[in-house]
Amino acid sequence: MSSSVSSTSNSVRKVQLQINGVSKDFDGVLAVDNVSLDIYQGEIFALLGASGCGKTTLLRLLAGFEVPSAGSILLDGEDLSRRPPYQRPMNMMFQSYALFPHMTVEKNIAFGLKQDKMPKARIADKVAEVLELVQMNGYAHRKPHQLSGGQQQRVALARSLAKSPKLLLLDEPMGALDKKLRTRMQLEIVNILEEVGVTCVMVTHDQEEAMTMADRVGVMNNGVLSQVGTPMEVYEQPNSRMTAEFIGSVNMFEGTLKADAVDCAEIQADALDCNLYIGHGITGTEGMELAVAVRPEKINVSREPPSQQYNMARGVVEDIAYLGSHSIYHIRLRSGMIIMASVGNINRQLASDKDQRITWEDEVYVSWSDTCGVVLYS
Amino acid sequence: MHSRWLTRLSWSVLVTGFGFLYIPIVILIIYSFNESRLVTVWSGFSVKWYGELFRDEQMMNAVWMSLKIAFMSASAAVVLGSMAALIMVRFGVFKGKMLFTSMITAPLVMPEVITGLSLLLLFVSLDQFIGWPDGRGVLTIWIAHTTFCMAYVTVVVNSRLQDLDESLEEAALDLGANRLKVFFVITLPIIAPALAAGWLLAFTLSLDDLVIASFVSGPGSTTLPMEVFSSVRLGVSPKVNALSALLIAVVSSFTFVAWWVLRRQERLRLVDLQGAQKQQDQA
Repeated sequence: MSSSVSSTSNSVRKVQLQINGVSKDFDGVLAVDNVSLDIYQGEIFALLGASGCGKTTLLRLLAGFEVPSAGSILLDGEDLSRRPPYQRPMNMMFQSYALFPHMTVEKNIAFGLKQDKMPKARIADKVAEVLELVQMNGYAHRKPHQLSGGQQQRVALARSLAKSPKLLLLDEPMGALDKKLRTRMQLEIVNILEEVGVTCVMVTHDQEEAMTMADRVGVMNNGVLSQVGTPMEVYEQPNSRMTAEFIGSVNMFEGTLKADAVDCAEIQADALDCNLYIGHGITGTEGMELAVAVRPEKINVSREPPSQQYNMARGVVEDIAYLGSHSIYHIRLRSGMIIMASVGNINRQLASDKDQRITWEDEVYVSWSDTCGVVLYS
Repeated sequence: MHSRWLTRLSWSVLVTGFGFLYIPIVILIIYSFNESRLVTVWSGFSVKWYGELFRDEQMMNAVWMSLKIAFMSASAAVVLGSMAALIMVRFGVFKGKMLFTSMITAPLVMPEVITGLSLLLLFVSLDQFIGWPDGRGVLTIWIAHTTFCMAYVTVVVNSRLQDLDESLEEAALDLGANRLKVFFVITLPIIAPALAAGWLLAFTLSLDDLVIASFVSGPGSTTLPMEVFSSVRLGVSPKVNALSALLIAVVSSFTFVAWWVLRRQERLRLVDLQGAQKQQDQA
């Protein structure tokens, strides 16, 4: 959402957190493998990956619950990687919220401030301020079990913001909420974080959540940070097969490079009868193996043959998933490959005009323009 | 027809079961108000045996002694047992953990005679070689009771610690409290109910123990079970009935209060939870 605004100003922004070649191995298993990353001041950064990819370990390394096997973590130029969690100017919101069950909301929030030996009157002011921020003013004297899931999350957020940390860590922030509440809280949390202006690193396995909330996204796989960029960059210009397949769905054509010119390239794909045509030159030698990824919504489905001689194929509709706003067509090509095409349901469709619509077992053509394919080398 | 027969059967099983458990206790209480000095012959209502009981200095001393030892043993067992449980749950995998875990729970299944005898041998040989403990008495009973009560406390605290969400402690660390402070301000208050339960269990076990105490006690350290047991051997006195009735009254009123408090808390919690749910739905 706010990604387009903030990404343009990256060049003038100050780097707040530097992760330099950090690794963590647990008894010979590398959970985090030589990760280097700069986080800019005031941005919301999401670490995205499947479970077990090392994203949570990286977050715990930042918080100080784990000590890195190699590398350093610098916050404002100061190396924190060997400091215990209670001496780091960063706070974390836990997936389970970890609200202290024997303390009231007020005491929970005041806990961190008390550790700093802040005078009582200032603690009270600060508690009131953050409760106001998350709109929980009336709940100061409740115990955590007297709150609903969404309210507990607000209190947890208030508690982690109370100490005005330099860096806020969010561990699966929406993990414990139901879907309806989730979309509402995503936007609300982003608003609160932007109001406070705190730098934030979050961990999530939900790509929609990462793309909604974060300015930049880092995709992790097997302990390695495979791509970092704005949500749009990561989706439209994935740099590897892994990222392309993890973020959204994709049609992947394996092939070999046939011809490479300054402004175009041709790739022979085994699954297609015609060649793939890319509207820009690529860096490669003829005959090399590569892959072309095309997103389903970029594929055009028609009954009539398209005018172009490349980036097209003939097939039979094998399956249709009607999702309301759009439908996903699964089209089987002659080579046996199944292509997914997402078609927006722009016009209102009625059951009666069945004949005009493309349906099961229809012979159709799929095609896409020469700007839609992304060439992947790895 | 069939179901009525079944209902009758289950009722009779229930009544028989409860009767088996409680009729002896009821009879005991009734006979504690017996006028006669013969325990089995009813000759009229009287509370004189309660008076006799309180005048019996030896019996009263034994009661006091038992309470004192139970209190000390339970307190020591809670400290040591919680430490053992913390090491088992929080210190990860260490060399000999398996051995440590099984050895700490071994006293649960060890026959009391063996525990008592081995402790007696230990105390006697210690006395011979280093001159401590000097003879047997309150100290040795205390050590012996702490030893076996600790195992029970460990089991109770261990299960509570395993349920405890570790991120609570991490959150406190993250908010700036050091490990020691986290233990006292977060961990301890949350596991407090388990500590209380472990303490009560240890207290009861110590109060109840006859076998181990008989082995390791010395002159002037007769506990209540020992006193009762030896007086019964000389013929049952109605005083013992009176004492038992008093103990039952104390225990059952404790149990009732605990039940009432727990039920009240649970009801309050449910009311609160419904309130929170309603507010969320309105929002």
